[in-house]
Amino acid sequence: MRYAFFVGCTTLARLWGYETSTRKVAERLGVELIDMPGSSCCGTTYLETLDHITALAIAARNICIAEDMGMDIITVCNGCTEVLTKANKELKEDLELRVKVNDVLADVGKRFKGTVEIKHFVKMLKEDIGLDKIRKAVDHPLKGLKVGAHYGCHLLKPSDVMLYDDPEVPTTLDELINVTGAESIAYPNKLECCTGPIMGIREDVTWSVGLEKVETVKKYADIMVTVCPFCFLTYERCQLMTETSPDVPVVHYPQLLGLALGLDYEELGIENNKIDASRILDFMED
Amino acid sequence: MTEAKEIRISQADLDFRRRFMEIPGAERLMLCYQCGTCTADCPVAMHVEEFRPRRIARLAAYGQKDRLLKGDTVWLCAGCYTCYERCPEQVRISEIISALRKLALKEGIIHPTYKALMKSIAEMGYIYEIDDFQNEMREDEDLPPAPEPDIEEIEVIMRKTGFLDLIGGC
Repeated sequence: MRYAFFVGCTTLARLWGYETSTRKVAERLGVELIDMPGSSCCGTTYLETLDHITALAIAARNICIAEDMGMDIITVCNGCTEVLTKANKELKEDLELRVKVNDVLADVGKRFKGTVEIKHFVKMLKEDIGLDKIRKAVDHPLKGLKVGAHYGCHLLKPSDVMLYDDPEVPTTLDELINVTGAESIAYPNKLECCTGPIMGIREDVTWSVGLEKVETVKKYADIMVTVCPFCFLTYERCQLMTETSPDVPVVHYPQLLGLALGLDYEELGIENNKIDASRILDFMED
Repeated sequence: MTEAKEIRISQADLDFRRRFMEIPGAERLMLCYQCGTCTADCPVAMHVEEFRPRRIARLAAYGQKDRLLKGDTVWLCAGCYTCYERCPEQVRISEIISALRKLALKEGIIHPTYKALMKSIAEMGYIYEIDDFQNEMREDEDLPPAPEPDIEEIEVIMRKTGFLDLIGGC
């Protein structure tokens, strides 16, 4: 299995542990992630709200690179996933819009053809590899570890665009956590937004929304698991910003799966996470 | 003058409303019957008194452009789509807020954070600077260099759509 790997700004620039663990887990499961030369920011969920055609053209320019590679795109950021999926869907379905956007892209020698799909890494794990195969590959189960899963919004919503899992009662991430031997627990407001996107408008709101969730998770679980760099940063930073930190480790999903697959704590970049997560190791059998 | 809480019928700008509803995403505005599901379930409204999605829909229905575009109101939506999913009339309030941002930008209004992000994408191809320093750190982590975005292509695209002029003119 080969895919074009769209890493996205935040992970590229700051969250190397997320990127490293994604690459290592993919390799272990026999998946090739190929870098996308010349690719840029997806445009962000912000640009979508400011100018429709520009947002589509910036997203489509990236999609065209994968079309030339002849591969579906793997993303690791919920924001990139939503932006690219929405653009891909709109341009596949609305031919009038496609003509407009291709007219813009013609000036840079590109043309959207509509030949690839966009998949978040966890979607690829579940749909293309499958839970059974992953379960068989798990040789260091994380028995007894309780995990508070945070899906994040744009993996699931808008549901008529993402067409992935149930927007109110999703199960994918819980299933993927459970195959590691850990237990994904239920907790109140599990699906609530991290409000990371307004960090630059009202930082105080993002920190209190974040802390509320982390404190809830602390009552039920040992760690929190995310699948989006923005959500991850929100839940990690809101704890670092307060003197009375709940001290709940936030871990990228591929780091969790990587441990269960027998990869090293260090090579998964977990020591780069700002809240010490080494307590996970207590749950691993020697 | 302090703003009156009520909206007087005589102040309604229906011409503005008609033009506003032509922006993609705002088409379903008039289906809103003010049930308040959007505000009740909004993660931002729970913490920010002045951010009321239901009120935004009402003000838009009465064409209250100035009240809507002043302050941070339209920039406070986190885009989580909870209101979009749960609205019993599929009004898509989040899309209405996006349409208000599009309108604001055409009027030369953009939140400084948004402007800075858009300028970063236009100038660097990423929302952060990813330079030699970052790539050295990446190398230490055994990661390949970050893809180098074709900045010229991005500039050509943003110039052609008029977006560069829009963000430059704010």
